Amino acid sequence: MNQTVDIKELNERIKQESSFVDLLTIEMNKVIVGQKHLVESLLTGLLSDGHILLEGVPGLAKTLAINTLASIVDAKFSRIQFTPDLLPADLLGTMIYSQKNEEFVVKKGPLFTNFVLADEINRAPAKVQSALLEAMQERQVTIGDKTYKLPEPFLVLATQNPIEQEGTYPLPEAQVDRFMLKVVISYPQKNEEQEIIRHNLAQSFPKASTILKPDDIIRARKVVKDVYMDEKIEKYIVDIVFSTRFPENYKLEKYKDMISYGASPRASISLAMASKAYAFIKRRGYVIPEDVRAVCHDVMRHRIGLSYEAEANNITSEEIISEILNTVEVP
Amino acid sequence: MTGKKLLNAKILPALLLLFIFPAINIAQTVTVSAKLDSTLMVIGGQMDLTIEISQPENIQLAFPNISDTITKNIEVVRKSKPDTTLLENQRIAITQRYRITSFDSGLHYIPPLRFEYMDGELARRAETQSSALMVVNPFAEVDPSKGFFDIKLPFNLPFILSELWRFKYWILTILILGVLAYLGYYFYKKREIPVKELFFPPKPKEPPHILALKSLDKIKSEKLWQSGQIKSYYSQLTDTLRRYMEDRYNFPAMEQTSGEIMSALKYQEFPDKNLFHKIETVLSTADLAKFAKYEPLPDENDNCLISAYFFVNQTKEEPVPTREALEKELKEASSEEKQEERN
Repeated sequence: MNQTVDIKELNERIKQESSFVDLLTIEMNKVIVGQKHLVESLLTGLLSDGHILLEGVPGLAKTLAINTLASIVDAKFSRIQFTPDLLPADLLGTMIYSQKNEEFVVKKGPLFTNFVLADEINRAPAKVQSALLEAMQERQVTIGDKTYKLPEPFLVLATQNPIEQEGTYPLPEAQVDRFMLKVVISYPQKNEEQEIIRHNLAQSFPKASTILKPDDIIRARKVVKDVYMDEKIEKYIVDIVFSTRFPENYKLEKYKDMISYGASPRASISLAMASKAYAFIKRRGYVIPEDVRAVCHDVMRHRIGLSYEAEANNITSEEIISEILNTVEVP
Repeated sequence: MTGKKLLNAKILPALLLLFIFPAINIAQTVTVSAKLDSTLMVIGGQMDLTIEISQPENIQLAFPNISDTITKNIEVVRKSKPDTTLLENQRIAITQRYRITSFDSGLHYIPPLRFEYMDGELARRAETQSSALMVVNPFAEVDPSKGFFDIKLPFNLPFILSELWRFKYWILTILILGVLAYLGYYFYKKREIPVKELFFPPKPKEPPHILALKSLDKIKSEKLWQSGQIKSYYSQLTDTLRRYMEDRYNFPAMEQTSGEIMSALKYQEFPDKNLFHKIETVLSTADLAKFAKYEPLPDENDNCLISAYFFVNQTKEEPVPTREALEKELKEASSEEKQEERN
């Protein structure tokens, strides 16, 4: 094989740098039974510097997964339960008066950590959601007259409960768009459920070992950005995103009235980044169409606005994305 | 002057004038007449009032202005266009009919209709004779003292099939059209051919392997990888193979990744066991060339093309012989047998 130097070097570099992926997956699997997709999505989000919105019923190991990830990476972790009476200051922090020093000092909030689990984000009012999403976007928080950078890596994992919608504040479309991935978690398989019972009834619950430092993640993120993406793959991504905006141009006329708004350019960026991260996880130095398709549902499902017609016909964004992937020509 | 001379000189011209003048006068006379179809009409009934004019053709006659009534009791329903007929002596006859009706019973007077014209410099007038029309009420007078009665219901006459005879051409046309439409629909359904194709039959589609082989020949002749266009070479090669698979195995290969295509092919039966691995190698090499700037060795490029040819040739669908072809074959075989028997 007469491979060009750049790709060869890049491939080797990625093989070296991504060696931790297998270890990390093994450690995660020690604690988390099943939920392969959740673990993969967590890694994709972590490596592509994107935040994740998790949707699933309670008890599907969402908190345990992010807790385990934090312990593997030797990073700080905090869990915030979103409630209707939560205030932005409860997240970001505030200025408190120190009687000892006779001055106002900054009390940083729980957002100043590496991994944040924002549990049931839709239970808090819009101003709190907005504060969190702004911090996610800017990677900094302003308290008083001072701006503080959030630690790196900074990954927010917000959860949404698909049931019990009464008294909730659904996230506005513009804010949902800031999550790189929306992962839908389903119940484990029968054999996995049996294993979960055994794990929990055993004398000691398995514990993941710390194998990474936050710096390793930051370094890996830089490598992920270097993963080669060919022009053909870029065009494929653009075609997928455009087919959500102009379905009639992609032989998807039936969805023209079903989609009220298509995916934004942020979706294209996220799809490209997530595809690169997925290629990295698969220990490849280049992106192939399989990578794009693997992350497409997670990247796009919260970025397609459905019309009343779609809701009346029980058409979901999942269905539209699947149809898009089956219709858009693969390079 | 003798009596004979006097006759010749005075009486003869006078006699001549006496005969000629009335003739000139007759030629200039305008006669008009108005004639009713009948002098009796039931109330609400209709009849024609025919006006006939005889006049020299050089005279312009002004007709009376009759719009919608002749008198206050007699209404004009419609009037015909004047019908002109050429007569002898440079005269014409004009006939015009007025369809009239009346809703008042009694004897109605129709006044003379006046027609004016110019005779030289003299204004003249011709008049029709006046006439009368008796309008009668055929219904008995209602006597309120006898009480009120409802309006009589319409008569129900029995339906006679012969009544339809006057519509025979319409009925025949509808029946023919119906039969034609049914036959058209029946044959269309039976043959399952779209309407468009009935009028514009499509060109028979070439079998997928012919198309694929043509495309592979083109790729070979273009010498893409030899001129450094490796990505284009593999893109065309995989597109040809994917299009062939799509037509041959009926799965959307153009919208699938290499992995998905291999999964779909896993369930196909191939005559050669190595075929699956060969095509897998072609697709994976193509993926590397297309998406990872990979430059395969010349041998690999050639092998991929050979594998593509091999795959198409090995998996091509043999055309099913038609009934005519089979019959012809059987005839030929039997005639050969007979020939052998004779020998």
